This record gives sequence, structure tokens and C-alpha cells, in this order.
Amino acid sequence: MAIKFAGSFEVQRTPEEVYDFLTDPNKFAPLLPDFRGLTVHDAQHFTVKVNVGISYIKGIADVKMQLLEATRPTRAEYRGQGSVAGGNVSMVAGFNLAPSGQGTKVAWEGDAQVFGRLTSVAGGLLEPLGKKQVQKLIDGLQAALNGASGGAR
Amino acid sequence: MSGDGKKWVGKAVPRKEEERLLRGLGKFADDIKLGETLYLRFVRSPYAHAKIVTIDTSRAEAIAGVVCTLTGSEIASKTQPFIQIAPDAGGKIRDFPMAVSRVRYQGEPVAAVVAVSPRITDDGAEVVQVEYEALDPVVDAEQALTDASILHDEAGTNRVWSGVFEYGDVEKAFREAASVVEIDRMHFHRFSSTPLENNVVIGQWDSKDDRIYYWCNNSFPSFAIQFLAAHLGVHIDRIRVQTFDIGGSFGIKITSYPQMAVCALASKKAGGRPIKWVETRSEHMTSSAHGNERTFRDTRVAVDKNGVITAITSRHIDDCGAYPRYEPLGCVIWSQVFPGVYRFKNARIEFSQGVTNKCPVGPNRGYSRMQHLWFLERVVDICAHELGIPADEMRLRNYIRPEEFPYTTPNGCIYDSGNYPKMLELAKNLIGWDSWKKKQSDRRKEGRMIGIGIGTTLDSGTNNFGQSQIVNPGAPFSGNSQGANCKLDIYGEVVVAVGSCPQGQGHETTAAQVVADVLNISPDLITVRTGFDTERNVHTGFSGTYASQFAVSGLSAVHGAAQKLKAEMTKLGAFVLESRLEEIEFGVGAQGPELRSKANGKSINYWGLANIVNVNSAVLPPELYDVTLNCRYIWRAPFKVPDTKKKYGNLTMTYASQLHIAVVEIDPETFIPKLLDYVAVDDCGTVINPPIVEGQVYGATAHGIGAALLENCVYDAVGNMLTSTFSDYIPITAVNIPNIKYGHIETPSPHSYSGAKGMGEGGAAPIHTISAALQDALFEKGVFIEDSFNNADSLFRALKGEIGRAADLVKVERRA
Repeated sequence: MAIKFAGSFEVQRTPEEVYDFLTDPNKFAPLLPDFRGLTVHDAQHFTVKVNVGISYIKGIADVKMQLLEATRPTRAEYRGQGSVAGGNVSMVAGFNLAPSGQGTKVAWEGDAQVFGRLTSVAGGLLEPLGKKQVQKLIDGLQAALNGASGGAR
Repeated sequence: MSGDGKKWVGKAVPRKEEERLLRGLGKFADDIKLGETLYLRFVRSPYAHAKIVTIDTSRAEAIAGVVCTLTGSEIASKTQPFIQIAPDAGGKIRDFPMAVSRVRYQGEPVAAVVAVSPRITDDGAEVVQVEYEALDPVVDAEQALTDASILHDEAGTNRVWSGVFEYGDVEKAFREAASVVEIDRMHFHRFSSTPLENNVVIGQWDSKDDRIYYWCNNSFPSFAIQFLAAHLGVHIDRIRVQTFDIGGSFGIKITSYPQMAVCALASKKAGGRPIKWVETRSEHMTSSAHGNERTFRDTRVAVDKNGVITAITSRHIDDCGAYPRYEPLGCVIWSQVFPGVYRFKNARIEFSQGVTNKCPVGPNRGYSRMQHLWFLERVVDICAHELGIPADEMRLRNYIRPEEFPYTTPNGCIYDSGNYPKMLELAKNLIGWDSWKKKQSDRRKEGRMIGIGIGTTLDSGTNNFGQSQIVNPGAPFSGNSQGANCKLDIYGEVVVAVGSCPQGQGHETTAAQVVADVLNISPDLITVRTGFDTERNVHTGFSGTYASQFAVSGLSAVHGAAQKLKAEMTKLGAFVLESRLEEIEFGVGAQGPELRSKANGKSINYWGLANIVNVNSAVLPPELYDVTLNCRYIWRAPFKVPDTKKKYGNLTMTYASQLHIAVVEIDPETFIPKLLDYVAVDDCGTVINPPIVEGQVYGATAHGIGAALLENCVYDAVGNMLTSTFSDYIPITAVNIPNIKYGHIETPSPHSYSGAKGMGEGGAAPIHTISAALQDALFEKGVFIEDSFNNADSLFRALKGEIGRAADLVKVERRA
């Protein structure tokens, strides 16, 4: 089951500041919805623990993340893979950064593939739930970046 | 019938099994409790296609109560791949019971955890860490045949088998046709069966005698042990298999031998303790076996000026899932019913089968034949609509006529008997054809969508396994046989043993009826041991319960064994009663079943006879030393090996037929199709036990209705099975079954000793019938019923023009 996400937002930070934030797991990972913990392995690899709950299916997922592409200050791309109850999730998420006025326009796109029994027992819920969680992440990201510059816009 | 009376065969004898099964006293594989049993749980792949990067079982092994784990690579290091039936590339596929380095369908086992309780196996399976690297999945057989992504590198192609079945003069028939109908695509969907009892295996590799013992519910054990012996590297005599009551199989339990292998290997690793695996419903849905999915491409039909079909050409693409296993037998088994019930002589079918990243297929309710019969019924039905010929008239013009039986089909099969026009007449009377036609006409004026459909189909029974040589000339199978034993026990009890694995077909009862007629006693006085047991020594390499054959093969063996016993009893009785052989009568006296002398009035009961042979043998003269009263008989079907080059020969012994009529209405608001009326007429030759036959007709009809309207194995583009629970895959229940009007005729088979024909699978008649009824309802709306599965969603889409647009899929060239 494939789920695609895309969108954009603007923040009052320079592309370099946004890039540094996005590529720092210690700052970026806690913004993931239902974040539980983080283990940083090296500059490109970290593992995030998140709570997962889809209807009656609940559990903790270990999501292995890899910073696939890092071109300062224009693009960062992550690949993630995690196991949740009854399935596996693979995803790729990219952020394209461009100056916009005094700030930065962040254009993001994501592509998630869900495998396993989860697609059968919760298939109808996955896409709306996934989009909701992604929106939470983006909202958190936006708030954090704007907060760092003195407040959300 | 060789001198035996017909007092019991043909009578509505109550089922001997009923008391046990209806009171919950049946004995099933899961009821077997053995000391020191361990339990096994599989860890299964969430991916349809992926490389296995690593498997870490250490956390599972650290759990208290976990005894051991197994992985596919460990199994591969200790065993041989399973035998492949396919030749050439398909034969190179290396199939192990668990994935070795690559998973090829969602739900494929990658590891197994063995523990002292089922709950601990669950805990262990949860913490087995498997790292995968996803690969491109192939979920469509037509796409698979392009070999863009190959599942089995060792084969080098996804094509398991392909061949052309051509008979008659196709080109001439098309040149002379008055009309040519072309159908771009039709599709027979993938569905499975949902037996009440899932697969169960208890396996023990006993270190004390180095034998492997199975207590299980496999429904074709003699086939399974041939695969297991070669895979495990043991002599086949070292494997003992016992089956018990089985809660349904429908063919799906034939292919449980991979799980049987794992249980044996786990037992060996665990020091010889018995290993029990009880399949969960979700495992059954995703990973046991599904029925074959088939796509029909580029079909052309030649029709003469009288509406008689003279030729058909088509390309058929079969999807066998990730591993062939019982395949590619399905690539030829459909040809048992090559022309269906129709008279056309000219045909060319190009048949291919490919592997895909989906659950492997297995024989399932009308295996391989129902796909083809559905195709033929769609062809006949759409030709009737397109050419403006009434549905019943179209059938009558094309049916094989009663006077043509025994009828040799273009590919050399011999249809034993039948009377399809008579069945149609009976079915029309039962449903009230004219009345429904009028109601349909009236209601259509109100805008209601009502259709009336006919499905005429065949249930071919007792295979000639020589057809395997059509797909692989090197295959070591041909003919068919079945074994039975009939004896007088020491205390004179008549005990019959058969090599079948009944799953509700009433073998105990019908076997007792046959023996009762031979010995002129009541079936109540006969004990029938059913359930497979290698140690009973009544099985052959074909023993099991599948392919609608017990009435012919099983009961012929029982009959033969009973006749042997009767001959021995007569010989012994003549000696004891001081009479000639022809003076001995069989019957029941004051002291139970006995033999009497017509000459002198003396008698001896069965206990007396059995006593002499078993424990009082010093009184026997030497000329009676060959009397054992323990008679084994192997019945062999009189088949020849088919001509493998011409793909010609008799592939089946009997052809039961079914004719169904359905009246369907599609709700204009919800698009839910509702069955308003339904008739099932059956002809299985001489009926041995009417209620058993009627019950099997109801069962097969219910299953067919479920397949047509409710049951569909849906996969998404990456190979996730989206219908792995009963929330989405809806098995038929009493709630969804209409009142079925039942009728039957009898055209006795000249090919079986009793005139009976194998039956029970029902040719999946409802699938064809409901498709025809929906076609009738929607033809004027420009819809072509191109798929065998039709629910509210697909009918909604068809009426919106998203699928099944007749204008795109069907073309008619009228030359007259």
C-alpha cells in the first residue's frame, strides 16, 4: 500500500539554519509524532522509537532512519524503515529548501509503503492516519523553526 | 453389480458419521494429545518480495520455555528442495518449506519458534528480528510472463509451463463462420476455501526408531509422503501418516506438506518430541493455498448461421502464486472438460502459467476445471446475447446430445453419460422459467435490474494421472488406483478400511452400503475405518480424498475387497456346512450375520467362521490355508497413458453434470446483487445415498455462491493481501444462502461398476450461473461481465462504465 504526501511552508530562518535543524537527529527526531526515544548511531544513521496505535493495534515501533542525501543548504532526504505490529513501513521523505524573502520556503514530499497484515486489518485507516501524523510532524517542524526565530507565523 | 443385491445402495441410509459429528464427538487432529508435545509458530514475511538480509533468533531463544528455532537456511542445509512436477525451467525452482534467502509472498514463513506452550511460541515469534531488503513485486501473471522481475533466479523465467492445445480445423471453421465473436479479456478471480478446521500438523521424528510420525489433516497423504520422503531424505516406509475426522478441505489441505516437513525437522532438533502446529485463520487466509487465478485473452468464437459454435481460440494465462507445488498439473487438468458440455470440435487454446508474488495456489473446489468451465459458459452466454438467441435456446443448440454418449471430446476424453437437455427442462420447470421471464419483463419496465442465468457444468471425477505427462513427459505418474480392505475380525465383526480422508462426504456410510449389499446384511453391522493410516496398508500412491472420485475409485476398491471376502467366506462356509459353493446363502439369522446352506439348512454365524480362521485353525484342511478372511483389494482405473504430443487421451472416468439457474436482482441504490430464486439440478449417475448427494449439492452450491459474490483474495500493487480476515474475505454462511430448489436425474455411468459418478465439487456451477444472470440483467446497459467475482462495488463501477464496457471488450462480426 503506497501513501504519498507533499506540501510546503515558509519559516523566518535562513536555509542554512533550517538545513542544520533538519539534519540534526537530536532536534528533528523528537518532532516525530508519539516520539519515545532516540539512538544516534553516526552522522547518517539513527533509530527512533515511536508509539504506534491504529485502532486496536498498538505497539512501539523502532524506525531505522538514514540521512540519504544532504546538500547544504538546499536539500535533505531521509529514508526510514520500521516494524510495527503486523507490518513493516518503508518511507522516503525529502525537504527542498529555497530562500524566500527573509526566510526559507520548505517544500517537502514523502512516499511511504506499508507491507504486511496491517494493510488488511487496518488498510482503510492507514492513509488518513498517515496524513494526520505527517501533518503533525510538519506543524511541529514549522513551530520549532519559527519558535527558534521568535514565534510561529 | 457382480451378483450383489441392491438393497442398500441407492437408499437414504442415515449417515453413520452423524451421531459422532453432530454431538461434537468427532476426533480431529487438534484433539490428539501426546506427552511432551511442543508447539510451533511461524514467523512470516510482511513483504511479498524481498531479500532476507539477516535473521536474528537469539532473543527468542533466550525466552524461558523456547526450546529451539529454525530458519529457512538451516532447513536448506539439511534437506533437498521439494520435487517439482514441471519440466524445463519450472522444474529448476528450488522450493523449501521456509524462505531461504528471499521471500516471495506475503506470509511466507522465514523462521519457526518451538516452545513448551503456544503462548510462548507467540512471544518468541514476536522478537525474531528479520531484516529485509524490498524487491519489486510481481502480482499479475501477464506481467510476470514478461520476466521484467524474475522470482526464481535458478529458473531464469517466471514461466512455469506453456503449451498449445489444438484440435480439429480451426481455420476452416472461422472461414466458414456466419458470425465471429471476439472477447478481449475475461478474468477468473482468486479465492480460497475456508474450512471450519484449519491445517493442523503434529509431527514427530522419533529418535528411538528413526521414524517420522504424523497426526494431521492433510487430505492427500499419499501424495504428501512422496514429497516428504524425497525432501527429508528418508525411505517412504519410515513415514507414518494418520488422519482423523477432517473439518473440511475442499482441496486446500492437499498442499500442507511444507508445514509437515518443518514439524518433523523441528522435532528432530528438539530431541524427538512431538511438535504441534495449529494454523491460525489469518495464516490460512494468507499462506495456505489459494485457488488458481486465470486470465483469458483474445478469445475468438466462430458461430454458424444456426447459432452453433464451431470453433474457439483463446490465450489462457494462469497465476500459480509464488511456488508451483501441485502445479503445473492445473495446466492440463482443465482439459478434462475441454469442450465443457458443448459439441464444438475445433479449438486452439494457448495455455501459460506464471509465478507471481502471491500465495501459492493449490487444488481448490473444482480445481482448474471450474476456471475453464466459467470461461466456456461466459463464451456461450455472451454469444447468445450478442446474436440475439435466447439463453436456453443457445444451450440446446450447442449441448452434446443424449444419444451421443459415450461422447469422445476433441482431445480424446470420453464423457460417460449425460442428458443436458433433460436437466435444463427440469431446472426450468423447478424455477418457473416462463413465470420469471414475465416478471422480468414487467419489472424491467419499472427500471429494475433483474437477470436470469443458466450455468451448465461438469464435475469430472477419478483422474488419469497420465495427464501429468502432458505437462511433463518425464513425470512418473499415470492411471489411478485405490485400495480397501475388508475382513472378518476374530469375533466376526465386518471391518472395512479405506485409504480415503473424508471431510464430510459420508464415506463410512456409503462404504457400508456397498458391503452390506455384497454380504446381504445391514450397514449397521459393518464398521468402516476411514481416515488415512499408512500402517493399514490399504493406500496406493493416489489415496486421499480429492477430485470427486470416492464413489468410483474408493467404492470400487471397497466392492472388490468385499467380493474377495465373500468368496473366501463362501469357500469356508461350504467346507463347514458340508455343501457346495453355490448352495451357500448370506443373510442374518438368530445369532446375527450368518451363512446358510440351501442344501441341508445348516448355518454358521460370522463369529464361527472367523473363529476357525483366526484362532482355531487346526481344523482347517490344507486346501483352505489360503482363506484369511482378511482381504485387501486394489482397484485400478482402466486408463492408458495419453498421447503427450497430441495432448490426446481419456483423462477422467466419470462426468457428473450440474445445471443451475439463478434469478438475480441488482439493487439500484446499493448495487448489491440479490438472489431471488435458485435451482440446482444434479446428475451424478446412480445415486448411492440420496441425502448425502443432496447435501453435497447444497454445499457445493453454497460455496459457488460465495465465490461468485463474496470471496475474493485481493492484493494491492506491492503484494499485500488486503482480504486476510473474515472482515474483508466473507465466507458464505446460512445468512447468504437462498432457498435452493434441488432436482436430479440419473444417467448411470457405464464406466463405474455401480453406475455412480464422482461428485461433490459441483463444477463451481453457481459462479457461471450468477455471471450469466448478472449479464442478463446488465446486457442492455452495455455491461460485459468480464470477471467471475461480482459484488456491489464492481457492479457499481461497471454501471459507471469504469470496467466491463462491452463496447471495448466484445466485438461481433456478422458475415451472413
